[in-house]
Amino acid sequence: MLKNFKIKTKYNDVYDITKEVRQTVEESGVQEGICIVYNPHSTAGITVYSPWDPDGFLDLDEEIRRLIPTKVDFKHQHDTPQDAAGHVKSALLGISNTFIVHEGKLLLGGSQGIYFLEFDGPRNREYFVKVVSD
Amino acid sequence: MKKYDNPMSRQVESLPELIETQYEDLEPKARKVLSFQEIYNIQKIVLTGCGDSLAAAMATKHAFEMLTGIPTEVVTAIELGRFYCKKHLGIDCRNPLVIAVSNSGNGARVSEAVQRAAKHGCFVLGVTGNEQSPLGIHSDKILKLCIPPFESAPGTRSYLVSVMALLLLAIRFGEVRHQYTMDQAMDYRADIKNQGEQLRALLPEMEDACAEVAEAWKEFPCYDFVGSGFDYATAWLGQAKILEAAGKFAMHINTEEWFHLNFFARNAREMGTVLVANTTSPGHSRAREMVKYANVLHRPLLVITDGGAEDFEGEKAVYIKVPKPKYPITMPLTHFAPVCLLAAYIAELIGETYGRGCEGDWSFCKGGAGVTESEIIVD
Repeated sequence: MLKNFKIKTKYNDVYDITKEVRQTVEESGVQEGICIVYNPHSTAGITVYSPWDPDGFLDLDEEIRRLIPTKVDFKHQHDTPQDAAGHVKSALLGISNTFIVHEGKLLLGGSQGIYFLEFDGPRNREYFVKVVSD
Repeated sequence: MKKYDNPMSRQVESLPELIETQYEDLEPKARKVLSFQEIYNIQKIVLTGCGDSLAAAMATKHAFEMLTGIPTEVVTAIELGRFYCKKHLGIDCRNPLVIAVSNSGNGARVSEAVQRAAKHGCFVLGVTGNEQSPLGIHSDKILKLCIPPFESAPGTRSYLVSVMALLLLAIRFGEVRHQYTMDQAMDYRADIKNQGEQLRALLPEMEDACAEVAEAWKEFPCYDFVGSGFDYATAWLGQAKILEAAGKFAMHINTEEWFHLNFFARNAREMGTVLVANTTSPGHSRAREMVKYANVLHRPLLVITDGGAEDFEGEKAVYIKVPKPKYPITMPLTHFAPVCLLAAYIAELIGETYGRGCEGDWSFCKGGAGVTESEIIVD
Protein backbone atom coordinates (compact mmCIF):
# COMPACT_ATOMS: atom_id res chain seq x y z
CA MET A 1 0.00 0.00 0.00
CA LEU A 2 1.27 3.46 -0.94
CA LYS A 3 -0.41 6.62 0.27
CA ASN A 4 0.38 10.22 -0.61
CA PHE A 5 -0.17 13.22 1.66
CA LYS A 6 0.00 16.91 0.75
CA ILE A 7 1.01 19.66 3.13
CA LYS A 8 1.35 23.40 2.76
CA THR A 9 4.33 24.39 4.83
CA LYS A 10 5.56 27.55 6.47
CA TYR A 11 9.15 28.75 6.53
CA ASN A 12 11.42 26.44 8.54
CA ASP A 13 8.57 24.66 10.29
CA VAL A 14 7.90 21.23 11.80
CA TYR A 15 4.82 19.08 11.02
CA ASP A 16 3.66 16.15 13.13
CA ILE A 17 2.67 13.36 10.71
CA THR A 18 2.53 10.53 13.27
CA LYS A 19 -1.27 10.22 13.14
CA GLU A 20 -1.34 9.93 9.34
CA VAL A 21 1.38 7.29 9.33
CA ARG A 22 -0.35 5.24 12.07
CA GLN A 23 -3.67 5.37 10.21
CA THR A 24 -2.08 4.31 6.94
CA VAL A 25 -0.52 1.28 8.60
CA GLU A 26 -3.85 0.30 10.16
CA GLU A 27 -5.76 0.80 6.92
CA SER A 28 -3.24 -1.31 5.00
CA GLY A 29 -4.24 -4.50 6.81
CA VAL A 30 -0.60 -5.51 7.03
CA GLN A 31 0.02 -7.38 10.27
CA GLU A 32 3.78 -7.86 10.10
CA GLY A 33 6.04 -5.86 7.84
CA ILE A 34 7.69 -2.51 7.38
CA CYS A 35 6.52 1.03 6.83
CA ILE A 36 8.58 3.57 4.92
CA VAL A 37 7.90 7.29 5.26
CA TYR A 38 9.49 9.20 2.42
CA ASN A 39 9.55 12.78 1.18
CA PRO A 40 10.53 13.46 -2.45
CA HIS A 41 12.12 16.84 -1.73
CA SER A 42 15.69 18.02 -1.35
CA THR A 43 15.09 20.82 1.16
CA ALA A 44 12.88 18.94 3.63
CA GLY A 45 13.48 16.06 6.02
CA ILE A 46 11.75 13.23 7.88
CA THR A 47 12.75 12.52 11.45
CA VAL A 48 11.71 10.99 14.76
CA TYR A 49 11.58 13.26 17.79
CA SER A 50 9.99 13.48 21.19
CA PRO A 51 6.57 15.14 21.13
CA TRP A 52 6.28 15.86 24.83
CA ASP A 53 7.89 19.25 25.19
CA PRO A 54 7.11 21.72 22.35
CA ASP A 55 10.24 23.67 23.27
CA GLY A 56 12.22 20.63 22.16
CA PHE A 57 11.46 21.61 18.59
CA LEU A 58 13.06 24.99 19.21
CA ASP A 59 16.19 23.14 20.37
CA LEU A 60 16.11 21.01 17.24
CA ASP A 61 15.71 24.08 15.05
CA GLU A 62 18.44 25.98 16.85
CA GLU A 63 20.89 23.11 16.68
CA ILE A 64 20.23 22.50 13.00
CA ARG A 65 20.73 26.21 12.29
CA ARG A 66 23.92 26.21 14.39
CA LEU A 67 25.33 23.24 12.53
CA ILE A 68 24.21 24.44 9.11
CA PRO A 69 23.74 28.20 9.21
CA THR A 70 22.14 30.03 6.31
CA LYS A 71 25.07 31.91 4.83
CA VAL A 72 25.82 33.76 1.66
CA ASP A 73 28.97 31.90 0.65
CA PHE A 74 27.50 28.54 -0.28
CA LYS A 75 28.94 27.25 -3.55
CA HIS A 76 25.44 26.33 -4.72
CA GLN A 77 24.08 29.71 -5.80
CA HIS A 78 21.39 28.67 -8.24
CA ASP A 79 18.50 29.45 -5.93
CA THR A 80 18.77 31.18 -2.55
CA PRO A 81 20.91 30.92 0.60
CA GLN A 82 17.94 29.40 2.45
CA ASP A 83 17.58 26.83 -0.29
CA ALA A 84 21.30 26.01 -0.29
CA ALA A 85 21.24 25.52 3.48
CA GLY A 86 18.08 23.46 3.11
CA HIS A 87 19.81 21.05 0.74
CA VAL A 88 22.59 20.41 3.26
CA LYS A 89 20.13 19.97 6.16
CA SER A 90 18.04 17.57 4.11
CA ALA A 91 21.07 15.53 3.10
CA LEU A 92 22.35 15.25 6.66
CA LEU A 93 19.03 14.52 8.36
CA GLY A 94 17.61 12.33 5.62
CA ILE A 95 14.47 12.27 3.60
CA SER A 96 13.00 8.98 4.82
CA ASN A 97 12.60 6.71 7.82
CA THR A 98 11.73 3.03 8.09
CA PHE A 99 9.51 1.62 10.84
CA ILE A 100 8.43 -1.83 11.94
CA VAL A 101 4.82 -2.94 11.60
CA HIS A 102 3.88 -5.41 14.30
CA GLU A 103 0.46 -6.92 14.99
CA GLY A 104 -1.15 -4.53 12.50
CA LYS A 105 0.21 -1.41 14.18
CA LEU A 106 3.13 0.96 13.86
CA LEU A 107 5.84 0.01 16.33
CA LEU A 108 6.69 3.36 17.83
CA GLY A 109 8.09 4.16 21.28
CA GLY A 110 6.09 6.18 23.78
CA SER A 111 8.20 9.29 23.27
CA GLN A 112 8.57 8.99 19.54
CA GLY A 113 6.71 11.06 16.98
CA ILE A 114 7.27 11.24 13.24
CA TYR A 115 7.91 14.69 11.86
CA PHE A 116 8.17 16.36 8.49
CA LEU A 117 10.82 19.09 8.67
CA GLU A 118 10.59 22.06 6.32
CA PHE A 119 14.00 23.63 5.72
CA ASP A 120 12.78 26.26 3.24
CA GLY A 121 9.15 27.20 2.66
CA PRO A 122 6.47 28.26 2.47
CA ARG A 123 6.06 25.50 -0.10
CA ASN A 124 3.52 23.00 -1.32
CA ARG A 125 4.99 19.69 -0.13
CA GLU A 126 4.09 16.02 -0.14
CA TYR A 127 5.24 12.81 1.47
CA PHE A 128 4.54 9.13 0.90
CA VAL A 129 3.81 6.28 3.28
CA LYS A 130 4.51 2.79 1.96
CA VAL A 131 3.47 -0.31 3.94
CA VAL A 132 4.98 -3.65 2.92
CA SER A 133 4.03 -7.04 4.32
CA ASP A 134 6.67 -9.66 5.32
CA MET B 1 -2.32 46.59 -40.65
CA LYS B 2 -0.20 45.49 -43.56
CA LYS B 3 -0.65 48.62 -45.67
CA TYR B 4 1.56 50.59 -43.26
CA ASP B 5 4.02 47.75 -42.82
CA ASN B 6 7.57 48.93 -42.15
CA PRO B 7 10.69 47.77 -40.24
CA MET B 8 9.58 49.38 -36.98
CA SER B 9 6.10 47.87 -37.08
CA ARG B 10 7.66 44.53 -37.95
CA GLN B 11 9.82 44.88 -34.83
CA VAL B 12 6.62 45.30 -32.83
CA GLU B 13 5.09 42.24 -34.48
CA SER B 14 8.15 40.23 -33.49
CA LEU B 15 7.82 41.10 -29.79
CA PRO B 16 5.70 38.13 -28.64
CA GLU B 17 8.25 35.63 -29.88
CA LEU B 18 11.07 37.82 -28.60
CA ILE B 19 9.58 37.76 -25.10
CA GLU B 20 9.52 33.98 -25.11
CA THR B 21 13.01 33.45 -26.53
CA GLN B 22 14.68 36.21 -24.54
CA TYR B 23 13.19 34.88 -21.34
CA GLU B 24 14.98 31.58 -21.93
CA ASP B 25 18.23 33.43 -22.58
CA LEU B 26 18.06 35.97 -19.77
CA GLU B 27 16.51 34.04 -16.88
CA PRO B 28 19.58 31.86 -16.18
CA LYS B 29 21.92 34.80 -16.78
CA ALA B 30 20.08 37.09 -14.38
CA ARG B 31 20.09 34.25 -11.84
CA LYS B 32 23.86 33.82 -11.93
CA VAL B 33 25.32 37.22 -12.72
CA LEU B 34 25.70 38.27 -9.07
CA SER B 35 26.63 35.97 -6.20
CA PHE B 36 24.66 35.72 -2.96
CA GLN B 37 27.38 37.81 -1.31
CA GLU B 38 27.10 40.53 -3.91
CA ILE B 39 23.32 40.59 -3.70
CA TYR B 40 23.33 40.75 0.11
CA ASN B 41 25.84 43.57 -0.05
CA ILE B 42 23.47 45.90 -1.88
CA GLN B 43 22.34 48.87 0.22
CA LYS B 44 21.23 51.11 -2.61
CA ILE B 45 20.75 50.80 -6.37
CA VAL B 46 21.36 53.40 -9.06
CA LEU B 47 19.96 52.65 -12.49
CA THR B 48 21.51 54.59 -15.32
CA GLY B 49 21.50 54.79 -19.09
CA CYS B 50 20.73 57.07 -22.01
CA GLY B 51 17.80 57.18 -24.40
CA ASP B 52 15.73 53.99 -24.46
CA SER B 53 17.93 52.50 -21.74
CA LEU B 54 17.03 55.38 -19.45
CA ALA B 55 13.36 54.66 -20.18
CA ALA B 56 13.96 51.00 -19.29
CA ALA B 57 15.44 52.14 -15.98
CA MET B 58 12.40 54.34 -15.29
CA ALA B 59 10.11 51.46 -16.24
CA THR B 60 11.64 49.15 -13.63
CA LYS B 61 12.64 51.43 -10.75
CA HIS B 62 9.42 50.70 -8.89
CA ALA B 63 9.83 46.97 -9.46
CA PHE B 64 13.28 47.10 -7.86
CA GLU B 65 11.94 48.90 -4.81
CA MET B 66 8.79 46.82 -4.47
CA LEU B 67 10.52 43.48 -4.91
CA THR B 68 13.76 44.08 -3.06
CA GLY B 69 12.96 46.80 -0.54
CA ILE B 70 16.25 48.43 -1.59
CA PRO B 71 16.13 52.20 -2.24
CA THR B 72 16.56 52.65 -6.00
CA GLU B 73 17.27 55.79 -7.99
CA VAL B 74 17.18 56.44 -11.72
CA VAL B 75 20.06 58.76 -12.53
CA THR B 76 20.79 59.95 -16.06
CA ALA B 77 24.25 59.15 -17.33
CA ILE B 78 25.35 62.79 -17.45
CA GLU B 79 24.10 63.35 -13.88
CA LEU B 80 25.97 60.30 -12.62
CA GLY B 81 29.08 61.10 -14.64
CA ARG B 82 29.36 64.81 -13.94
CA PHE B 83 27.12 65.87 -11.05
CA TYR B 84 26.25 63.04 -8.61
CA CYS B 85 27.68 63.81 -5.17
CA LYS B 86 30.98 61.98 -4.69
CA LYS B 87 30.26 61.55 -0.99
CA HIS B 88 27.43 59.24 -1.91
CA LEU B 89 29.53 57.04 -4.20
CA GLY B 90 31.49 54.09 -2.84
CA ILE B 91 29.78 54.09 0.55
CA ASP B 92 29.03 51.02 2.70
CA CYS B 93 31.47 48.73 0.90
CA ARG B 94 30.98 49.32 -2.83
CA ASN B 95 27.54 50.90 -2.72
CA PRO B 96 25.43 51.95 -4.47
CA LEU B 97 25.22 49.13 -6.95
CA VAL B 98 25.22 50.92 -10.31
CA ILE B 99 23.31 49.07 -12.99
CA ALA B 100 24.17 50.66 -16.31
CA VAL B 101 22.15 49.70 -19.38
CA SER B 102 23.29 50.04 -22.98
CA ASN B 103 22.90 47.35 -25.61
CA SER B 104 25.78 48.70 -27.70
CA GLY B 105 27.78 49.70 -24.64
CA ASN B 106 29.42 52.41 -26.71
CA GLY B 107 27.68 55.57 -25.51
CA ALA B 108 30.26 58.04 -24.20
CA ARG B 109 28.12 59.30 -21.31
CA VAL B 110 27.35 55.84 -19.96
CA SER B 111 31.02 54.93 -20.25
CA GLU B 112 31.93 58.09 -18.37
CA ALA B 113 29.27 57.44 -15.69
CA VAL B 114 30.45 53.91 -14.95
CA GLN B 115 34.11 54.96 -14.94
CA ARG B 116 33.32 57.63 -12.38
CA ALA B 117 31.19 55.27 -10.31
CA ALA B 118 33.95 52.65 -10.35
CA LYS B 119 36.64 55.22 -9.54
CA HIS B 120 34.74 56.22 -6.39
CA GLY B 121 34.17 52.65 -5.26
CA CYS B 122 30.76 51.61 -6.56
CA PHE B 123 30.08 48.10 -7.80
CA VAL B 124 29.07 48.31 -11.47
CA LEU B 125 26.83 45.81 -13.21
CA GLY B 126 26.72 46.41 -16.96
CA VAL B 127 23.68 45.26 -18.92
CA THR B 128 24.99 45.17 -22.47
CA GLY B 129 25.25 43.14 -25.62
CA ASN B 130 28.89 44.07 -26.08
CA GLU B 131 31.39 42.82 -23.51
CA GLN B 132 34.27 44.58 -25.27
CA SER B 133 32.53 47.96 -25.29
CA PRO B 134 33.54 50.74 -22.90
CA LEU B 135 30.59 49.82 -20.69
CA GLY B 136 31.60 46.16 -20.72
CA ILE B 137 35.24 46.93 -19.95
CA HIS B 138 34.44 49.24 -17.03
CA SER B 139 31.85 46.98 -15.39
CA ASP B 140 32.62 44.60 -12.52
CA LYS B 141 30.09 42.12 -13.86
CA ILE B 142 28.13 41.94 -17.10
CA LEU B 143 24.64 40.70 -17.83
CA LYS B 144 25.16 39.88 -21.49
CA LEU B 145 22.27 40.64 -23.81
CA CYS B 146 21.94 38.59 -27.00
CA ILE B 147 19.26 40.22 -29.12
CA PRO B 148 18.81 38.42 -32.44
CA PRO B 149 19.51 40.70 -35.44
CA PHE B 150 16.52 42.34 -37.09
CA GLU B 151 15.78 45.07 -39.63
CA SER B 152 17.10 48.37 -38.34
CA ALA B 153 14.51 50.72 -36.82
CA PRO B 154 14.19 52.97 -33.78
CA GLY B 155 14.78 50.76 -30.75
CA THR B 156 11.81 48.56 -30.04
CA ARG B 157 13.16 45.05 -29.55
CA SER B 158 16.18 46.31 -27.63
CA TYR B 159 13.91 48.26 -25.28
CA LEU B 160 11.89 45.17 -24.46
CA VAL B 161 15.02 43.16 -23.75
CA SER B 162 16.43 45.89 -21.50
CA VAL B 163 13.18 46.02 -19.51
CA MET B 164 13.10 42.24 -19.22
CA ALA B 165 16.73 42.05 -18.08
CA LEU B 166 16.10 44.63 -15.35
CA LEU B 167 12.87 42.96 -14.20
CA LEU B 168 14.62 39.60 -13.94
CA LEU B 169 17.41 41.17 -11.90
CA ALA B 170 14.89 42.77 -9.54
CA ILE B 171 13.07 39.45 -9.10
CA ARG B 172 16.37 37.68 -8.44
CA PHE B 173 17.53 40.20 -5.84
CA GLY B 174 14.23 39.92 -3.98
CA GLU B 175 14.32 36.14 -4.13
CA VAL B 176 17.85 35.80 -2.80
CA ARG B 177 17.20 38.33 -0.03
CA HIS B 178 14.19 36.26 1.00
CA GLN B 179 11.63 38.98 0.34
CA TYR B 180 9.43 36.16 -0.98
CA THR B 181 9.67 32.47 -1.70
CA MET B 182 11.31 30.81 -4.68
CA ASP B 183 7.82 29.74 -5.80
CA GLN B 184 6.69 33.36 -5.75
CA ALA B 185 9.77 34.37 -7.71
CA MET B 186 8.96 31.76 -10.32
CA ASP B 187 5.42 33.11 -10.52
CA TYR B 188 6.77 36.59 -11.23
CA ARG B 189 8.99 35.09 -13.92
CA ALA B 190 6.10 33.15 -15.43
CA ASP B 191 4.17 36.41 -15.62
CA ILE B 192 6.94 37.88 -17.75
CA LYS B 193 6.99 34.93 -20.09
CA ASN B 194 3.19 34.75 -20.37
CA GLN B 195 2.99 38.26 -21.74
CA GLY B 196 4.25 37.02 -25.09
CA GLU B 197 0.99 35.14 -25.59
CA GLN B 198 -1.12 38.00 -24.23
CA LEU B 199 0.51 40.50 -26.57
CA ARG B 200 0.16 38.13 -29.53
CA ALA B 201 -3.60 37.97 -28.93
CA LEU B 202 -4.02 41.75 -28.69
CA LEU B 203 -1.69 42.84 -31.50
CA PRO B 204 -4.14 42.68 -34.45
CA GLU B 205 -6.64 44.95 -32.68
CA MET B 206 -3.81 47.20 -31.52
CA GLU B 207 -2.46 47.53 -35.06
CA ASP B 208 -5.87 48.46 -36.48
CA ALA B 209 -6.44 51.11 -33.82
CA CYS B 210 -2.95 52.60 -34.18
CA ALA B 211 -3.31 52.73 -37.96
CA GLU B 212 -6.60 54.65 -37.66
CA VAL B 213 -5.09 57.09 -35.18
CA ALA B 214 -1.96 57.53 -37.29
CA GLU B 215 -4.09 58.34 -40.33
CA ALA B 216 -6.04 60.95 -38.36
CA TRP B 217 -2.98 62.43 -36.63
CA LYS B 218 -0.32 62.26 -39.35
CA GLU B 219 -0.37 66.00 -40.13
CA PHE B 220 -0.35 67.17 -36.52
CA PRO B 221 2.63 69.35 -35.66
CA CYS B 222 3.06 68.00 -32.15
CA TYR B 223 2.29 65.08 -29.86
CA ASP B 224 1.96 64.95 -26.09
CA PHE B 225 2.73 61.75 -24.14
CA VAL B 226 1.48 61.55 -20.56
CA GLY B 227 1.77 58.99 -17.75
CA SER B 228 2.85 58.50 -14.15
CA GLY B 229 4.71 55.79 -12.24
CA PHE B 230 6.08 53.22 -14.64
CA ASP B 231 3.50 54.33 -17.22
CA TYR B 232 5.57 57.51 -17.47
CA ALA B 233 8.43 55.44 -18.87
CA THR B 234 6.12 54.22 -21.63
CA ALA B 235 4.99 57.79 -22.31
CA TRP B 236 8.63 58.87 -22.38
CA LEU B 237 9.41 56.13 -24.88
CA GLY B 238 6.46 57.25 -27.01
CA GLN B 239 7.79 60.78 -27.42
CA ALA B 240 11.23 59.34 -28.16
CA LYS B 241 9.86 57.13 -30.95
CA ILE B 242 7.92 60.02 -32.53
CA LEU B 243 11.13 62.06 -32.62
CA GLU B 244 13.26 59.21 -33.94
CA ALA B 245 10.85 57.68 -36.41
CA ALA B 246 8.73 60.60 -37.56
CA GLY B 247 11.01 63.56 -36.82
CA LYS B 248 8.18 65.54 -35.24
CA PHE B 249 8.00 67.47 -32.01
CA ALA B 250 6.79 65.45 -29.07
CA MET B 251 6.67 66.01 -25.34
CA HIS B 252 6.62 63.73 -22.33
CA ILE B 253 5.19 64.74 -18.99
CA ASN B 254 3.78 63.13 -15.91
CA THR B 255 0.06 63.22 -15.30
CA GLU B 256 0.21 65.83 -12.57
CA GLU B 257 2.60 68.16 -14.40
CA TRP B 258 0.32 68.05 -17.43
CA PHE B 259 -2.17 70.06 -15.37
CA HIS B 260 0.54 72.53 -14.46
CA LEU B 261 2.07 72.95 -17.91
CA ASN B 262 1.12 71.13 -21.08
CA PHE B 263 -2.58 71.80 -21.03
CA PHE B 264 -1.84 75.49 -21.67
CA ALA B 265 -0.68 74.72 -25.21
CA ARG B 266 -2.69 76.36 -27.99
CA ASN B 267 -3.91 74.52 -31.10
CA ALA B 268 -5.10 71.76 -28.81
CA ARG B 269 -7.25 70.27 -31.58
CA GLU B 270 -4.05 69.46 -33.45
CA MET B 271 -2.09 68.06 -30.56
CA GLY B 272 -2.18 64.28 -30.57
CA THR B 273 -2.37 63.38 -26.89
CA VAL B 274 -1.43 59.92 -25.70
CA LEU B 275 -2.16 58.92 -22.11
CA VAL B 276 -0.61 55.72 -20.77
CA ALA B 277 -2.74 54.69 -17.81
CA ASN B 278 -2.91 51.22 -16.37
CA THR B 279 -5.93 50.62 -14.15
CA THR B 280 -3.90 49.40 -11.16
CA SER B 281 -1.84 52.57 -10.96
CA PRO B 282 -1.96 54.57 -7.73
CA GLY B 283 -2.19 57.57 -10.08
CA HIS B 284 -5.30 56.30 -11.86
CA SER B 285 -7.71 58.88 -10.41
CA ARG B 286 -5.52 61.67 -11.77
CA ALA B 287 -5.39 59.93 -15.16
CA ARG B 288 -9.21 59.88 -15.19
CA GLU B 289 -9.27 63.61 -14.48
CA MET B 290 -6.75 64.23 -17.22
CA VAL B 291 -8.89 62.40 -19.80
CA LYS B 292 -11.86 64.53 -18.81
CA TYR B 293 -10.01 67.84 -19.23
CA ALA B 294 -8.23 66.74 -22.41
CA ASN B 295 -11.73 66.36 -23.82
CA VAL B 296 -12.77 69.78 -22.51
CA LEU B 297 -9.82 71.15 -24.50
CA HIS B 298 -10.92 69.14 -27.58
CA ARG B 299 -7.62 67.33 -27.70
CA PRO B 300 -7.46 64.27 -29.97
CA LEU B 301 -6.93 61.60 -27.34
CA LEU B 302 -5.52 58.09 -27.31
CA VAL B 303 -5.56 56.11 -24.05
CA ILE B 304 -3.30 53.07 -23.70
CA THR B 305 -4.69 50.93 -20.89
CA ASP B 306 -5.24 47.41 -19.67
CA GLY B 307 -8.84 48.47 -19.00
CA GLY B 308 -11.32 50.31 -21.21
CA ALA B 309 -13.59 53.34 -21.50
CA GLU B 310 -15.49 52.17 -18.43
CA ASP B 311 -12.38 52.83 -16.33
CA PHE B 312 -12.40 56.46 -17.51
CA GLU B 313 -16.07 57.25 -16.92
CA GLY B 314 -16.84 56.60 -20.56
CA GLU B 315 -14.93 59.68 -21.71
CA LYS B 316 -14.43 60.06 -25.43
CA ALA B 317 -11.06 58.71 -26.57
CA VAL B 318 -9.55 55.94 -28.64
CA TYR B 319 -8.81 53.22 -26.13
CA ILE B 320 -6.09 50.73 -26.97
CA LYS B 321 -6.11 47.58 -24.90
CA VAL B 322 -2.77 46.26 -23.69
CA PRO B 323 -2.04 43.10 -21.67
CA LYS B 324 -3.23 42.81 -18.09
CA PRO B 325 -0.60 40.65 -16.42
CA LYS B 326 -1.01 39.05 -13.00
CA TYR B 327 1.59 41.40 -11.51
CA PRO B 328 1.46 45.09 -12.57
CA ILE B 329 5.24 45.45 -12.29
CA THR B 330 5.59 43.47 -15.52
CA MET B 331 3.33 45.80 -17.52
CA PRO B 332 6.16 47.93 -18.96
CA LEU B 333 7.24 44.85 -20.88
CA THR B 334 4.38 45.16 -23.36
CA HIS B 335 2.52 48.42 -22.80
CA PHE B 336 4.93 50.29 -25.05
CA ALA B 337 3.91 48.34 -28.17
CA PRO B 338 1.19 50.83 -29.25
CA VAL B 339 3.44 53.90 -28.97
CA CYS B 340 5.96 52.22 -31.26
CA LEU B 341 3.24 51.26 -33.73
CA LEU B 342 1.86 54.80 -33.73
CA ALA B 343 5.30 56.30 -34.44
CA ALA B 344 6.01 53.64 -37.07
CA TYR B 345 2.74 54.28 -38.92
CA ILE B 346 3.01 58.09 -38.81
CA ALA B 347 6.56 57.87 -40.19
CA GLU B 348 5.36 55.60 -42.95
CA LEU B 349 2.36 57.79 -43.81
CA ILE B 350 4.39 60.98 -44.08
CA GLY B 351 7.28 59.26 -45.84
CA GLU B 352 9.81 60.11 -43.16
CA THR B 353 13.15 58.30 -42.91
CA TYR B 354 14.10 57.02 -39.45
CA GLY B 355 16.66 59.26 -37.80
CA ARG B 356 16.54 61.48 -40.92
CA GLY B 357 18.78 58.88 -42.50
CA CYS B 358 21.76 60.56 -40.81
CA GLU B 359 22.01 62.66 -43.94
CA GLY B 360 22.38 66.36 -44.64
CA ASP B 361 22.37 68.36 -41.44
CA TRP B 362 22.10 65.09 -39.52
CA SER B 363 25.18 63.50 -41.06
CA PHE B 364 27.24 64.27 -37.93
CA CYS B 365 25.37 61.52 -36.10
CA LYS B 366 26.08 58.76 -38.61
CA GLY B 367 26.88 55.46 -36.91
CA GLY B 368 25.85 56.90 -33.57
CA ALA B 369 28.74 59.38 -33.64
CA GLY B 370 26.60 62.00 -31.91
CA VAL B 371 26.64 59.92 -28.72
CA THR B 372 29.84 57.91 -29.03
CA GLU B 373 32.25 60.67 -30.02
CA SER B 374 32.15 62.95 -27.03
CA GLU B 375 34.84 64.07 -24.63
CA ILE B 376 34.98 61.89 -21.56
CA ILE B 377 35.81 63.57 -18.27
CA VAL B 378 36.09 61.40 -15.19
CA ASP B 379 36.27 63.42 -12.00
